[in-house]
Amino acid sequence: MLRIRDLEVSVGGRKVVTGVNLSVGSNELHVIIGPNGSGKSTLLAAIMGLSRVNILNGSIIFEETDITYSPSYERAKLGIALAHQNPPSIKGVKFSEIVKNLIKRCGCSDYTIMSKMLRVDEFMQRDLFVGFSGGERKRAELYLVMLQNPKLALLDEPDSGVDVESLNLIAEFINLLIKRGSSAVLVTHSGNILSKLSRIDRVHLMIDGNIIFSGLADEVVPLVFKYGFKKTAEALGKVGGEG
Amino acid sequence: MRVDLKEQLISLLKRPSSFGPDIDLNNYELSEPKIIERLDIGDDFTKASSRLGLEDKSKLNYVQINESAMYEALRESLRKYNVKVLPLRKALDEFMYVKDMVWKLVKPDQDKYTAASYLYGGELGYFIYVPSNTNVPIPIYSCLAITSNNKVQFAHNVIYVDEGSEVQVVTGCLVPHGIKGGLHIGISEFYVGKNSRLTFTMLHAWSEGIHVRPRTGVRVNAGGEYVNYYVIYSPVASLQTYPTITLGADSKASTSSVIAGSGEGIYDVGTKVILAEDNSSVELLSKVVAKDAAEINARSDVVAESLGKGHVECLGLLLSPKSKISSIPALTSKKPGAILSHEAAIGIIAQEELEYLMSKGFKEDEAKSILIRGFIDIDVKGIPLSVKAEIDRVLDLIASNIASG
Repeated sequence: MLRIRDLEVSVGGRKVVTGVNLSVGSNELHVIIGPNGSGKSTLLAAIMGLSRVNILNGSIIFEETDITYSPSYERAKLGIALAHQNPPSIKGVKFSEIVKNLIKRCGCSDYTIMSKMLRVDEFMQRDLFVGFSGGERKRAELYLVMLQNPKLALLDEPDSGVDVESLNLIAEFINLLIKRGSSAVLVTHSGNILSKLSRIDRVHLMIDGNIIFSGLADEVVPLVFKYGFKKTAEALGKVGGEG
Repeated sequence: MRVDLKEQLISLLKRPSSFGPDIDLNNYELSEPKIIERLDIGDDFTKASSRLGLEDKSKLNYVQINESAMYEALRESLRKYNVKVLPLRKALDEFMYVKDMVWKLVKPDQDKYTAASYLYGGELGYFIYVPSNTNVPIPIYSCLAITSNNKVQFAHNVIYVDEGSEVQVVTGCLVPHGIKGGLHIGISEFYVGKNSRLTFTMLHAWSEGIHVRPRTGVRVNAGGEYVNYYVIYSPVASLQTYPTITLGADSKASTSSVIAGSGEGIYDVGTKVILAEDNSSVELLSKVVAKDAAEINARSDVVAESLGKGHVECLGLLLSPKSKISSIPALTSKKPGAILSHEAAIGIIAQEELEYLMSKGFKEDEAKSILIRGFIDIDVKGIPLSVKAEIDRVLDLIASNIASG
């Protein structure tokens, strides 16, 4: 479904992603774990085609289409959806307006039930992300991703800055997303959510702009929790990223 | 008319006004102002009025096309409230008291445009009277249009809301497509009686060649309230207006303006408010969007002559490097204890917000339109739902027009 080759990305003139290779198959959940500033969010931004990142080299292929330089709205229409880590507060634009547009475009049918379950109906008439708590932001972003019924969901730190209740809810919906047949790439630095996910197909350890190890969750996650990113990277670094 | 006043006004016709580009009145053709039984409302008018949500002719109480006015003074819906809606000239003929209401809040010698209106306007325009202790639940609609090239249109509108009453008035001003030039001079005098409320909505849809010079005075008596919603979209050659609102004891006013400037139009729009008596308060809010080579001056002036409160807010969005927005707020306090404040900000569309919406599948124009619509949205209390729906429609149009190139 998604093939990334030798991807190099800069932000504000600084190279942040330095030659990433990554393949995600249909209905797979991949987790990218790494410390703050390792380039995880930039990698997702590059896959989504956000204009703040600059692709220096490499390619992004989605379902046999080269999207390396496509604008983000075209990627969204192809079936890629991004749950932003820090979505901007937009005054005057109601959350419900974006919801209405996505329902109309993507034809999601169970939006009412999902809005209740994710408890987003309570801020439907509020301005987009204005005064939202951390948990509300994450739930709102996940809801918008669910409405898009994506083939590939990019989930940027869905577990950061949320309380346990919201974390459980978010995990539940990520599990539902996979159950419905979507693929997902989830980025996390805390790993808080990982134990709540029903299935993880692959975990990638990203350090200093590159994936230095890819493997099963059991191979990577316990080491990270026990020894931290640096020592785990030293122990696993020789294995290298996906080819 | 007194000879000396007439001479004074004629001499004024050559003197440029203090604000806005000067207009040579000789460039425009005067027509004989007339009131007629049936007015030929063509497709052009209907099409143009639909831009303001006023295409339903059956709800219009007063229509003025160029210098011809048509009205239905006592529509069935208004009859039971004893509301009067008729051309001002006719009202001056029929009711003695009306002469005490005209040219009091706007003076004939204010500038060349008021002088021209006084000399040649023929007191066309509407007169609306709401008797005391009357709540009129349905909005009163009027529409003023210029449908011929290079005409000058005069409209002198007087609204008098008597004590303890409430009314909503909606006025649309427009030109159909194809009108390249014209001049609209509107004189408005609004009286809000003791403990009364007037909600006045003005929607403007002109075109590139039209110059617009409204002159407005509002007097709000003790305990009264004046709510004003002003929206202009579509280009103009120039628009210059600077209404004055005078507030009595315990009265309040709020004005919300949306100015969407485009083309090479010059928009000089402001409001002056005098807190004349104690415990009066005002809030002036303007949202200004400029694209192409439009130039917008958003002025405001709150003068506290008594204990009162005034707040001014102006937010601008600059969409083109050739456009220009100036926010010119003034606060003057002559009374210790009066509280006056203002805030202003002029910016561009935030790239982060645009990028966010595009990542949700909105094309750049669609995303801009959503952001502009959000920016110009104003929550005005007291606007009836039917009028709010029309305003929303106009704001939707503004957002999509401004965002698309």
